[in-house]
Amino acid sequence: MTFFNDPTLLLIVIILGVTVILLQLYIESRRKPRELPRITRTLLKCTKCGNVLEIDYEEGDFISLVKGKCSKCGAPMKIQAIYTIEVKQPK
Amino acid sequence: MPGDWTDYIGQIIFILFFLMLFTGMNQKIQVKLWAYDIRNKLSIIKRYADDSRSRIEEILNKLGVREPSGIVNKFMNFFMIEPVDIEPTDIIRRLDHLIRSRERIFKDSLARTLPELGKYERSLLESSLEIASVLNYVYKSIRHYLLLGEKYNNWVLLMQLQFMMPETMKLVETYYKSLDSFIKGTPIGDSVGPLVAYKIMEKGKILSKNVIEDTVVAEVWLDNRRVYVIKAEGPGSNVGKPGKVLADLVEKLSGNVDLVVTIDAALKLEGEELGEIAEGVGAAIGDPGPEKIAIERATSRHNIQLSAIVIKMGLPEALHAMKKELYEAVERTVDYLLNLIKNATKEGSTIIIAGIGNSIGVAQ
Ligand SMILES: [Zn+2]
Repeated sequence: MTFFNDPTLLLIVIILGVTVILLQLYIESRRKPRELPRITRTLLKCTKCGNVLEIDYEEGDFISLVKGKCSKCGAPMKIQAIYTIEVKQPK
Repeated sequence: MPGDWTDYIGQIIFILFFLMLFTGMNQKIQVKLWAYDIRNKLSIIKRYADDSRSRIEEILNKLGVREPSGIVNKFMNFFMIEPVDIEPTDIIRRLDHLIRSRERIFKDSLARTLPELGKYERSLLESSLEIASVLNYVYKSIRHYLLLGEKYNNWVLLMQLQFMMPETMKLVETYYKSLDSFIKGTPIGDSVGPLVAYKIMEKGKILSKNVIEDTVVAEVWLDNRRVYVIKAEGPGSNVGKPGKVLADLVEKLSGNVDLVVTIDAALKLEGEELGEIAEGVGAAIGDPGPEKIAIERATSRHNIQLSAIVIKMGLPEALHAMKKELYEAVERTVDYLLNLIKNATKEGSTIIIAGIGNSIGVAQ
């Protein structure tokens, strides 16, 4: 039973084992595609000239709601879409 | 030195190890670890369930309800007993009756406590309550099996539970996160069907528009064809009764319809692309049965071509706020649909397009 007798050998084995497990866990967490945070945006389109504008979503927005005026021709704009996009984070 | 005391300790540890192996002690330790892990995850589920509940109570409070926990309790514990299925005669009618009764009870009791509440707010509240009740149900079931496993020392049950936990946690997170959309009223992934329907309405000239049973039927002149567009009434959280309305419309037109197209979100297989479009035949609708069978019966009775277009997405994408990728898929689907209509029908034909799904955030 020299294995149990030699504390240094036992220590080395334990340290080695723990490092291997930690390394594996680290690699696994790196491999998982982490989801980036998303924000909701509202897409407006001019009812006359077709000018498109994307703005931040505000509570109460829904598709087909007439909201705001076109910056080009002054006609009312209609909400075409509400969707979420990924927020690009500085690395 | 012979007989060193550390030598004995080593031997004793070895013997203990052996004994544990034969007496099943190692398994007991394993079971304890499993139970510990399940308990940890259960507390996370509880936090989600409690949090969703308190968020709803807060909303009710703001709307002027003094004792919101009473209403929330009632909805959280509401159940529906499935109809008898070993005797299938008129099972669809019985199921339909139960679904409608449930909806009516939900609506009526909300209307009673909050009479001045608008249709839109009420629909959002209803859906939020449904999500909270799902979370509560998952919490109660997991707790039940955990306690059962511990009570009867059933380690197979605990093992199964432990192996199911990652999937369950994912599901719980998905539902919990979807609460954001339902409280705010933004379109979700499942809204792609109604959104395609809305875009088709916009493309043509609207001749008439009616609302029947929370479902919109718009008669649109498009490409020299008469197109009836069906979608749930928005912008509240509502799936309407597209099957029944479609069937009634086919009867009203005495079967003079050349093409019926249903558009819906479909669960993608793992590894499939988000927002992929696929065409097929059949009724693309994921209800428990009554709506789907109504479409199938109406089209088969009059021998009308029944096409389906689905947009593929995972469950999280279907329940969370619509991703831009899905909106792009909607635009592609509209083009696809216009092409399909052009190729499959002649000018002057009558077509029905049904955008299936939740109309949250999509008006008409
Ligand atoms: Zn303009």
